[in-house]
Amino acid sequence: MPARLRLGLVGAGPVVERYHLRAVRGVPEVQPVAVVDINEERVCQFALQQGFPLATTRLQDLFGKVDLAIVALPNSLHASVTCELLSNGIHVLCEKPMARNVPECQAMIEAAQDGGALLCIGHNRRFRNNVNLAKRLMERGILGEVIQIEAEEGSTADWPRSPAYFDPVQAGGGALIDVGIHSIDLIRWLVGEFQELKYAGDGTTTTVESEAELRFRVANGAEGKLLASRTRDLQQHIRITGSEGYLDIGLWSDNLRMRSNKGKAFQQLPYLDAYVSRRPPQDASFVLQLNNLVNAARGEEKVLVDGFAGMAAVEVVTRAYDHSAALDASPAELAWGNG
Amino acid sequence: MLNSSKVDRGSSDKEPLGNLSEVAILRCEDHGNLVGVLTRLRSVAPRLLPASLPPKVVIKPNLCDVVSWEAGVTTDPSWLPVLAAELRVIRPDVQIVVIESDAVSAYKNYRSCDETYDRLGYREIARENGIELVNLSKSESIEISMDGIPMPILISELFLEEFYFISIANLKVHPYERMTAILKNALGLLTDADISSLHPYLSLLISHLHRLCPPDLSIVDGRIGLQGQGPILGDPVRMNSIIFSNDALAADVAACKLMMIPPEEVPHLRKVAADLERKFPEVQLPADIHPRSFAFNTTSHGDILLKFANKRFHRSSELFTNRWLDRFLRFKREPVKFATEAVPRLVRRLHAR
Repeated sequence: MPARLRLGLVGAGPVVERYHLRAVRGVPEVQPVAVVDINEERVCQFALQQGFPLATTRLQDLFGKVDLAIVALPNSLHASVTCELLSNGIHVLCEKPMARNVPECQAMIEAAQDGGALLCIGHNRRFRNNVNLAKRLMERGILGEVIQIEAEEGSTADWPRSPAYFDPVQAGGGALIDVGIHSIDLIRWLVGEFQELKYAGDGTTTTVESEAELRFRVANGAEGKLLASRTRDLQQHIRITGSEGYLDIGLWSDNLRMRSNKGKAFQQLPYLDAYVSRRPPQDASFVLQLNNLVNAARGEEKVLVDGFAGMAAVEVVTRAYDHSAALDASPAELAWGNG
Repeated sequence: MLNSSKVDRGSSDKEPLGNLSEVAILRCEDHGNLVGVLTRLRSVAPRLLPASLPPKVVIKPNLCDVVSWEAGVTTDPSWLPVLAAELRVIRPDVQIVVIESDAVSAYKNYRSCDETYDRLGYREIARENGIELVNLSKSESIEISMDGIPMPILISELFLEEFYFISIANLKVHPYERMTAILKNALGLLTDADISSLHPYLSLLISHLHRLCPPDLSIVDGRIGLQGQGPILGDPVRMNSIIFSNDALAADVAACKLMMIPPEEVPHLRKVAADLERKFPEVQLPADIHPRSFAFNTTSHGDILLKFANKRFHRSSELFTNRWLDRFLRFKREPVKFATEAVPRLVRRLHAR
């Protein structure tokens, strides 16, 4: 059995507690070694409760002691912390968004190359069962040519966030870069590159947007609309419509609703709902994501969401912000063909 | 010689016009002459054979166990070359695929579909005739939900593709369902080998599967039927009849007629008809076709009588019924032992509740 990889957690906030900690327990190939956080009291309590031998407030304490690290910090710290870890040869799983802008992303990619370490970006949705099935079915061409994409994700439920999340400079953006970037990554992965963009959000120079609407066209000419919100409960799905049918991918559930007009199953049935959990649903995507990095570190597979994929998603977001319009623009004004 | 008739589907007003069922019941005394049967079918019921075909045709035989077709249990592999030749006249480049899945055998707990293909001669015939054999249990599959069934159902991704579907079933008795032909043959579309956990939902499941993958052509091979302890351990009975239909429900009703079983006594037929909002189609047997009352195994017959006497339990939970049935049969066999062992246990359990 190969040696276990020593793991350090960078950040001991709610994202780590809710998602990454369970993933660490679900990947026996990693050995929890250290946890770093700026808040000394919190990090000590976390380490004690969760069985991490080392609790520290200094990132440098990880060097030489861990093989890989999970970075779950405010967006403004992603680039600097990740670069430091990568430069020291530590493989990094960095939470999304990869960084606030493209230059920061480039620096992270270069640091990975210089340090000979792997960089994985936390677009965990790619590891969900229903998303993987959608990918496989699309590769088999059951949709025909993709003609329309609709994505919605937003909720009034939220967890305690630091003020950094609401500061445009520190966060790099609001609902779009925080919530909408998941859908952006999936649309890129499943359908193709974003080309034309038209964005509207309610952000100002001093606060990030809580509502975002992105209209876009992808490489094959398909048009789409993405809604991201921190103040409304939306449908939490991506619906990809093609010339031969559609796939409706649950973003918060394992469901995949599908229809393929020519398919035998749809001769009498309007659609099929696939991937219904046998047990109360457990999101395995964080486990599979960490597993992917561990296997990649062992040379057994490639990182699924590498720095270039993370950077491409950030590039779409920053380009959208650069082309922003007023949110109160009417749908007609946002529609294609109206300037 | 033949009955080919447009069948009154008993349809509701909701069904579109022009979707007429047709059933042809052919007498076939020369069991080796399937080519002749298809030739006769083409001349008297040409609508039952497709005028055109999609690129793929899928054939689902009944290969429920490793038992020869002469025993009345499985589908005769001789159908493959005969159908392949017929289909290739319609579309020379058609891809023909035979599907079946792993299952629980009557003789052992698990039976691989590949073993069945090999031992029943399907592999060799398929190779000789350019036919692809697919083990659905090994194919890419997806879990889907079906209304009223509490667990996900595993089906092959094949059903997302376009194809012409031929289901070939046998004429057999069945302990729970009284008879099994085309509609129940659809259970082999499930990729799970052991579907016993789904038995309480058998009728509902069959109805769902019929909507998932309705046969375009149903063939009930009644040359040799199976009576007694069906659907595997029974005794063959020569019926010398083959049913063809473009409507699976009509084909099964015709099979019921042959076996002299009232279709309304078959739970899955009732369910499928209800879900399709149809009455049972009226099927008349031709003069040269002789129906026969299929015997049930004595024990099974008792089971069935009791089961059907207890319809409420049967509808709500087959397993529940089975438990009480087991107790009844044990009591019948060994009343003293049952009284001294099972009754106190039962009383204790009821008391504990």
